Amino acid sequence: DDEVQVRQKMVAVDPQEEADFDRELRSIMQESLESRKLEIRARPTLNMMIPMNVFEGSTRDHHGRSVEGESGDETMDEEGGGGNNKDILVKVLVKRGNKQQTKQMFIPKGCSLVQSTKQKEAAELEE
Amino acid sequence: EETGEDENYEYGKGDFTEHACRYCGVQNPACVVRCNVPSCRKWFCNSRGNTSGSHIVNHLVRAKHKEVCLHKDSPLGETILECYNCGCRNVFLLGFISAKTESVVVLLCREPCLSVNALKDMNWDLSQWCPLIDDRCFLQWLVKIPSEQEQLRARQISAQQINKVEELWKTNPDATLEDLEKPGVDDEPQPVALKYEDAYQYQNVFAPLVKLEADYDKMMKESQSKDNVTIRWDIGLNKKRIAYFVFPKEDNELRLVPGDELRLRYSGDATHPAWQSVGHVIKLTAQEEVALELRASQGVPVDVNHGFSVDFVWKSTSFDRMQGAMKTFAVDETSVSGYIYHHLLGHEVEAQVVRNTLPRRFGAPGLPELNASQVFAVKSVLQKPISLIQGPPGTGKTVTSAAIVYHMAKQGQGQVLVCAPSNVAVDQLAEKISATGLKVVRLCAKSREAVSSPVEHLTLHYQVQHLDTSEKSELHKLQQLKDEQGELSSSDEKKYKALKRATEREISQSADVICCTCVGAGDPRLANFRFRQVLIDESTQATEPECLIPLVLGVKQVVLVGDHCQLGPVIMCKKAARAGLAQSLFERLVLLGVKPFRLQVQYRMHPSLSEFPSNSFYEGTLQNGVTINERQSSGIDFPWPVPNRPMFFYVQMGQEEISASGTSYLNRTEAANVEKIVTTFLRSGVVPSQIGVITPYEGQRAYIVNYMSRNGALRQQLYKEIEVASVDSFQGREKDYIILSCVRSNEHQGIGFLNDPRRLNVALTRARYGIVILGNPKVLSKQPLWNSLLTHYKEHECLVEGPLNNLKQSMVQFQKPKKIYN
Ligand SMILES: [Zn+2]
Ligand SMILES: [Zn+2]
Ligand SMILES: [Zn+2]
Repeated sequence: DDEVQVRQKMVAVDPQEEADFDRELRSIMQESLESRKLEIRARPTLNMMIPMNVFEGSTRDHHGRSVEGESGDETMDEEGGGGNNKDILVKVLVKRGNKQQTKQMFIPKGCSLVQSTKQKEAAELEE
Repeated sequence: EETGEDENYEYGKGDFTEHACRYCGVQNPACVVRCNVPSCRKWFCNSRGNTSGSHIVNHLVRAKHKEVCLHKDSPLGETILECYNCGCRNVFLLGFISAKTESVVVLLCREPCLSVNALKDMNWDLSQWCPLIDDRCFLQWLVKIPSEQEQLRARQISAQQINKVEELWKTNPDATLEDLEKPGVDDEPQPVALKYEDAYQYQNVFAPLVKLEADYDKMMKESQSKDNVTIRWDIGLNKKRIAYFVFPKEDNELRLVPGDELRLRYSGDATHPAWQSVGHVIKLTAQEEVALELRASQGVPVDVNHGFSVDFVWKSTSFDRMQGAMKTFAVDETSVSGYIYHHLLGHEVEAQVVRNTLPRRFGAPGLPELNASQVFAVKSVLQKPISLIQGPPGTGKTVTSAAIVYHMAKQGQGQVLVCAPSNVAVDQLAEKISATGLKVVRLCAKSREAVSSPVEHLTLHYQVQHLDTSEKSELHKLQQLKDEQGELSSSDEKKYKALKRATEREISQSADVICCTCVGAGDPRLANFRFRQVLIDESTQATEPECLIPLVLGVKQVVLVGDHCQLGPVIMCKKAARAGLAQSLFERLVLLGVKPFRLQVQYRMHPSLSEFPSNSFYEGTLQNGVTINERQSSGIDFPWPVPNRPMFFYVQMGQEEISASGTSYLNRTEAANVEKIVTTFLRSGVVPSQIGVITPYEGQRAYIVNYMSRNGALRQQLYKEIEVASVDSFQGREKDYIILSCVRSNEHQGIGFLNDPRRLNVALTRARYGIVILGNPKVLSKQPLWNSLLTHYKEHECLVEGPLNNLKQSMVQFQKPKKIYN
């Protein structure tokens, strides 16, 4: 009930500052890429398997609460529970040490990540 | 130690979270990430604020740090962001990919993992790699952007400040933004402003001023040690030892007030070991004696009376609470409502109406009927989140405030908090509010619990002592034991404290209204209380940080009562005063365009006495609620020059002198004439308690007191009962007859204290029946306001000279007023 309308003054970002910041950002990106390209010996072995339990019943969310999993053949879950209608629940795979963990998170429907999957699903369905 | 609880309490501490953005203070766990570089580990949020990149991206770029960790309460929990395949943690290389068929995503680094050929054959869609940092901020669905509200209430940091603080962190990783603005030792502090970007900037301006005042206060009080003090010993009703002694003071020194802590020392002699004890001032007697209740009764050298020393024990409590309130205001967004937050900082806010059902009658039970301007004020205030009420002298501020509090309490929004800077004002208000039938708790500082109060039955400590239930008998038993033995065993002490705290809490929670001083609102006993509605009386006598203490307990509706045409807060440190610490919040809000509701009918002064103040200070709006007849002093035979005008300016040509101490002024002929006037009043049937003598100088005050008791024509005791004090100590009070002795009579020097129009207003508006002013018109007329006062008296044939029994109009010439005169 604490709605407040503040007449905001427009804050213009200083173009000089913006340009300066962009230059630094690009340089840190570039430097990051270069340093990795040079580490040829560090070619990683692939370890990208999706663990089976992701497809199975329940997973644990970050609060340790049990989250009801989706049945295996269901595709993208159009969720209304935690996010809003524009959000989609995805599973995020992370590693803690060598252990794989699955966490759940909402991402917007418009995000390219899920759009492409959707398109593919649609394409696959047509076949 | 009784005060132990309070001293261990850190003000504003509970509100700090480690994970607040180090740039802007946003602390929503979903919006912040921690820089994972071991030497850094600072938290930043994902909002851009006034910069081109989000705060976290800004930090990573400027500090050249590349790893981050999510907050444990964020959607993914405490997670270091790294490549699912190779474990690379460079956020500038990371992005999400999703599985081709499943709703599964992972982080993958752009180089080399994304370009490893073998990956292409797997179940992952590499074509839609989605970088973690996009458009100079983190993916919003991973690290949320703080809401607009959150951003508006955060610190408004600029790109320049970011660059500066990043630079500072390279040599001092713990530096804060405040460190950027710290002035050097000899610099003038930054002056107060009308508007502030955010509460951090507000804190940056006020914190150094409060610090300056605190340092000055400490220095002054600790230098007030007095040797060769003579003690008169006594025992109080609570069996505690009390020392009575005279503690002389000078003009520029603070007056002792009840509750102050002093240390009494005796260096020892052949038959007595050295001894010292701390105690609280419990009263100041009419004979100018200090009564000090000692904390320890054992080993007191009561058979000695001479050769004691007294030191002031300085306490930082009030200043700590101001600093704490400012911190809370900045970092805790629930401390005040959004509307009040932006309004106090001078941001332009759309007007808000408080939707409450208004009462049918605006008066309250147990209070006098309200007049039209009072009703208007009560009604308007109830509908506004922030309002100011200006109460000129004698216009019923307290009754109006009590009526407002009554209606607020009846709205069922929880307890109402009522504050004022002075204990006297809090007591008056508590009494009036209690008269309406509301349950009132008056919370006193622990150091003042032994100080007698007119509303003792309302005080928390009294109610704790007199609560009559079985579980309390345990508390009473322990209390008795403690009083008798002076201390308890540690287990009993623990039990006693817990019981006492629980009882205090229970009583406080059951009250409709809590009354305390502004500083008292920072009492740890109120730490877990929330107050949506707060009224501050005498708010024009409080500094802004002082006023903030009662506000940061969750206020949504605030009423500031005061009068910016009377005296403001007393600031001892000139540097802090020059920078604007003496300007009250009330005054700043007036300057920001908040129009105070002015109470317009005065019930104190004889209409002749209110005329000049009304015209000079209130644009002529002050109306008289009393008639000439009601202020006719029947049976009093006093030689007023104009019978229906109980006022005159008594022309004095006596020279002023520097007082013996060398720090004050006195004027002997003026003092002698004060005695003559007092004697004439007393002879005509006025009693001592009806008379007040006001003089701005301590030298003159001491001289008048002394002179009257030695040379007064009547019984000595009569003169001793007459209050002689400074203008400041008469503020908020009234007397039937006022004698104002101006003292300064030197053509080449200023008129000092009397130069402040607000002080003159207070001096002129204390009297109900009559006023006599003594001074030198030749000197005073140089100041424009005094010039017009003198002209006013002259026009009404009240500017007189000669002996009291044969006053005649004075023909003394005025000087032309100077524009600026000091
Ligand atoms: Zn860092
Ligand atoms: Zn931030
Ligand atoms: Zn990788």
